[in-house]
Amino acid sequence: MNEHSPVFAAPDDQVTWLGTDPVPAKYYFDPDWFELERQAIFMRTWLEVGHVCELPEPGTWIRRELEFANASILIVRGKDGEIRAFYNACTHRGTQLVEEESGKGANFICPYHFWNFGDDGRLIAAPEFNRFSLAKEDCSIPRVSIDTCAGLIYINLDPAPRQSLREFLGDLAEAMESMPVARATTFHEYVYEIDANWKVTYDNFQENYHLRYVHGQTGLSTIHKDNSFGYPDSFTFHGKHRTQQIWSNPEPQIKPVQGFNYALGGKLAAERRLGGPHDRRYLAAFPSFFIIGTPTQHFSHKIMPISALKTRGVFRVYWVGEEASASERYVREYSLAAIRDLHTEDVNIIQRAQKGLLSGAIKQVNFMAMEALCRHFIQQVIGTVQEWQEGQQPAGEQA
Amino acid sequence: MSNRLPAGYDVLEPFVDQWAVAGTANRARCRDESTPTQREAFFETAKALLPQALALLDAKPLADHDAQERCLMDLLMSFAHVTMAIEIFGDGEARHAQFRQVMRITRSPADA
Repeated sequence: MNEHSPVFAAPDDQVTWLGTDPVPAKYYFDPDWFELERQAIFMRTWLEVGHVCELPEPGTWIRRELEFANASILIVRGKDGEIRAFYNACTHRGTQLVEEESGKGANFICPYHFWNFGDDGRLIAAPEFNRFSLAKEDCSIPRVSIDTCAGLIYINLDPAPRQSLREFLGDLAEAMESMPVARATTFHEYVYEIDANWKVTYDNFQENYHLRYVHGQTGLSTIHKDNSFGYPDSFTFHGKHRTQQIWSNPEPQIKPVQGFNYALGGKLAAERRLGGPHDRRYLAAFPSFFIIGTPTQHFSHKIMPISALKTRGVFRVYWVGEEASASERYVREYSLAAIRDLHTEDVNIIQRAQKGLLSGAIKQVNFMAMEALCRHFIQQVIGTVQEWQEGQQPAGEQA
Repeated sequence: MSNRLPAGYDVLEPFVDQWAVAGTANRARCRDESTPTQREAFFETAKALLPQALALLDAKPLADHDAQERCLMDLLMSFAHVTMAIEIFGDGEARHAQFRQVMRITRSPADA
């Protein structure tokens, strides 16, 4: 008699410690709660904003808009090679210095009255400066805390961050350093903006419970009779961060050209020695960034709130080395098309989830065991807000 | 024959005007704006030629490709998008296409 030995066992026992309570739905739409998140999390947490390959030479710069802070940020590689971040604002009367998304140049000249700043943010010259009662050394552009890990550029709007970036990322830092992103030289990027809360958006990408329904065609290769939802092999939790090990389907359903492309991509990735211990790992860094190790489709996703009910998502597929051949160019294009198609399916369902919550009729959100990353995430969000609120209370008023 | 493609690829000539497009975002748009018949015809003709076309183009560095080879390369790049429509979505392509507009392609190494 042939007995079937399942090729998958769901990791339910790894997440019992997170509890099973429902989560109040207000956290996913309430503007007052979002204001607390904005102050407690986004104004004082390390946030991924780019990659060093965007700043290949001294004098190159990029601009990033952070609507939740009403801030435009310039990130600049100086002549000394150091990467610095400044507010995109002139210290004369606040005018934004640049409108372009990126550029190269030694100086930033305000278009309003031609105040001229160096790539280190210091004021170099200003017309009729002797008519001001100011010293140039007091007119530098306000700096923003910045650091890098695995090639990824992080900023922190807290002028004096409580932790270094490495302390903040903890175990995730070493894992990311061994992923292809740490050596990436270029990337594909696609961007979306949707009418949804940042956590409703992020949660969609933290669970596979929806995979067979929302991604019935694009996610087919992940589904197996022993794992019909494509659940992960395991979860791990690292302070505010979390990971999952993506399950490898031993019998994936693959179409003919898709199979050819997968094989070609795997061959080229192996030639570039891109494989490593985290090939099947999903790393989620608090508050709203994740990256997947898969070397043939090595993508990150950053989610930034614009307001309580509007969110921008930026996907990047990172590549090591410029396209060296027609095959490499072709297979990278296919990889981009395939993963963008899958993520397109998510956007519509996220907006529907948000619309359903907005009436207020749904009082609680319910997570099952395989949505453990969503549960851990909201617990970290609430805990971070509470911790910040406690720190705001004057001495003597704390419980 | 207009000789827009390397020798041996004449069968792809009818698809050049529609599918030999520069730019990843433009190629994605071509897929969005095409009809099922157009996608099917291109996919069915090109799929058997894919391995040999890549082998031909791999014989030279990308920067050394002549106009005919660049044209073939652009066709293959569009084929990558059309493959998703045919193999993965089939009849569901039209529904999927209406949601793709929101996912704006903002950078591609192939466009550099």
